[in-house]
Amino acid sequence: MSFFDLNGTLKPLTALKQFGKKPHTISYPKESKEAAPRYRGLHFNDLDECIGCGNCSMICQNAAIDMIHIDGIEGKKGDSGLRPRIDNGRCCWCALCVEVCPTGSLSLTKDYLYVSEDPDSFLWTPGKDNPNGKEQISFFSTEETSLNVFNRVPMPELEGKERVKSFAEVVLGYSEAEARAEASRCISCGLCTEVCPEHMHIPEYINAIATGNDADAVRIIYDNNPLPEMCGKVCTRRCEDVCAIASRGEALAIRWLKRYATETAATAEITREIVNPEIREANGKTVGIIGAGPSGLTAAYYLALRGYDVTIYEANAKAGGATMYGIPKYRFPIDSLDKQIDYIKSIGVKILFNTKVGKDISFKEIYDKFDAVFMGVGFPDAWPLGVDGDDAKGSMQAFRFLYMINSGEKVDVGDKVVVVGGGNVAIDAARVSRRLGADVTILYRRRVKDMPADWEEIEGAEDEGVHIVPQGIPIKIHKDEKGHVKAVEYLKAKMVPDERGGRPKPVAIEGSNTVIEATSVMAAIGQMGDYSFLPEEFTDKIKIERGRFVVNEKQQTGDPKVFAGGDAVNRTADAISAIADGFRACKAIDEMLGKK
Amino acid sequence: MMKELKEKIVQRIKANFADAAEKNDFNYNRLDFTVKKETIPSILFYLKDEMGFIHLSDANCVDWLEEGELELVFIVWSPKDKIKIFVRTRLDRDNPVMDNLDMIWPQLNTYEREFREMFGVQVTGLEAPDEFILEDWQGPPPFRRDFDTAAYAEKTFWERPGREDAQDVRETIANRDGEEIPDFAKKYSR
Repeated sequence: MSFFDLNGTLKPLTALKQFGKKPHTISYPKESKEAAPRYRGLHFNDLDECIGCGNCSMICQNAAIDMIHIDGIEGKKGDSGLRPRIDNGRCCWCALCVEVCPTGSLSLTKDYLYVSEDPDSFLWTPGKDNPNGKEQISFFSTEETSLNVFNRVPMPELEGKERVKSFAEVVLGYSEAEARAEASRCISCGLCTEVCPEHMHIPEYINAIATGNDADAVRIIYDNNPLPEMCGKVCTRRCEDVCAIASRGEALAIRWLKRYATETAATAEITREIVNPEIREANGKTVGIIGAGPSGLTAAYYLALRGYDVTIYEANAKAGGATMYGIPKYRFPIDSLDKQIDYIKSIGVKILFNTKVGKDISFKEIYDKFDAVFMGVGFPDAWPLGVDGDDAKGSMQAFRFLYMINSGEKVDVGDKVVVVGGGNVAIDAARVSRRLGADVTILYRRRVKDMPADWEEIEGAEDEGVHIVPQGIPIKIHKDEKGHVKAVEYLKAKMVPDERGGRPKPVAIEGSNTVIEATSVMAAIGQMGDYSFLPEEFTDKIKIERGRFVVNEKQQTGDPKVFAGGDAVNRTADAISAIADGFRACKAIDEMLGKK
Repeated sequence: MMKELKEKIVQRIKANFADAAEKNDFNYNRLDFTVKKETIPSILFYLKDEMGFIHLSDANCVDWLEEGELELVFIVWSPKDKIKIFVRTRLDRDNPVMDNLDMIWPQLNTYEREFREMFGVQVTGLEAPDEFILEDWQGPPPFRRDFDTAAYAEKTFWERPGREDAQDVRETIANRDGEEIPDFAKKYSR
């Protein structure tokens, strides 16, 4: 053995090759293993996307989820303002909460480490306690995997070509099976009730329908709406805009379900039998109501139930106001309205028809005769178009046209009708004109998507062959030698963004003049009130500002004895707001007269 | 080819087991028979020993609450023919009794413990510890459909302190907008 051992020097160096290999031992700092792709770890909730419907807390079989207030999150329309908090000591990670979340805001993450010395510190507010959880989401629901049913049961309808042949009702209504299926999509959160002006008990009656208790549904509906079948057919249904299911699917058909329930009571007598309202003993107090529209009828119905002697003065031959004379019969058949009016009359409401206040009876007389007065006078007049040639024969207001048609009068509109406007009145006038056999064009100054009309109505009109010309501003009506409408001239418009953040404004393009032939022109650009029935001695107290009565939160005018509601008061111009006004006025009148 | 093979198997089973009701509208390699519970041991033995269905893929129980029956499902597999057969039988839900079968496949022992503990099936002759997954279980068999998990959890587990601030969504909204839900309607609130 030599002094210098080459092997003994070099061999240990072979260990250097191990540097290039992956160690088998645990490496430090310790790395956690990535969890499985659909791992169900700690919850994450997208706090902005969550609407606080509480469906997660309802489904939880371990009662592990509470809905709580979180600082910085306020409730608003379509959002309860509450957010889920999980008791991780109870959670079993089944993830049902994720699968029933309508918005998809709730999910489970790959994060599963949670260490604390305090055994009661298991309460965990997803999204707040793990703001960065979004990057770790592993178990989530999609439209396909969610346990919610996102598709609406389609409503059977007459076909477009069939519809224009008559005034037969277009919407055919759900069958029992369809209604039950549609109702069972509801998750009963109640977000809808807040945006309903009348705050109807929507989840309750839908649940009653889902469980096969139609009679209970009708009773619940009549608790605060005496014209539900009308609402079931023509309501503006803002409730459906905030439906939790609509966040990823089609909103519950709340309106159609109400219609289904009320139609199970085929006559006024059956309605009376089912609702079986408690009518209090007469209290000797009287209330006079001007106008048998939705607000007047509502106030009358609930006052009569509370023992008041109620008389309605109605200028027209039929009750219903704008819903009778403004809405075409293919949307709201007269039998349906009659049924509801008969029911209201059956509990003791008196209606004097063809009695115009200011002409057949003075306001003063009513004021002196009754202990309280409610005015639901509506907007009986319409704005004229206000362009050159407006006075031509065949130029009319759409509202007036609908009034005449609904009164059974014959109106000759010729074969080419131009309707100006984009609201429901415009669409109604257009669709009625189609039924009279005319070619119809709707001229609207903004875009189709800006139209305030119901989208279903717009689609219905298009199905029936109504031609819509958006971004057109009428400037002149051409007359023929006999003074009859010959054509409408309009300017095309471009949309200019509003500097103040409002919706874009249409601005006419100079020189873009276009002419369309017409035999009739109908203006559907808004209605206005007629307050000539009110003598001067009252106008000091009963104030009218910008065309509407001024009332307090109880619908009370400056004269404590006089209340008002409906289109002549609120700006929403829909039946359900009028009904809400009537209901509020009823409570206020009851409160006022009950004390005396 | 597969179709012929399946037909042959069906014929053979029907020839040997008169009560075997087939439901064989399934595509591909699946067959399905329902038999009386007395037939179960012999048909499983026969499939395993005579027809090559040597592998037990699964054994499970289905609660047909509305019909008052429990259904046992055995899925067996033939590696040679690449066919799986579902063998089903129905038991009276109020008195579900089944013979022990773990002499056919020892692993059935585990499945039978599950039948017993989760569905309340009485397995005659089963030799196994009393408890399977549940400890000190007093309640009804938890995999039966009428077992109310939420009610059980509420009864069994205490409320952790700090949860008193929980709100009801429906109530919160109703209070905010002044909605008065009538008492008779409340049973339909969630």
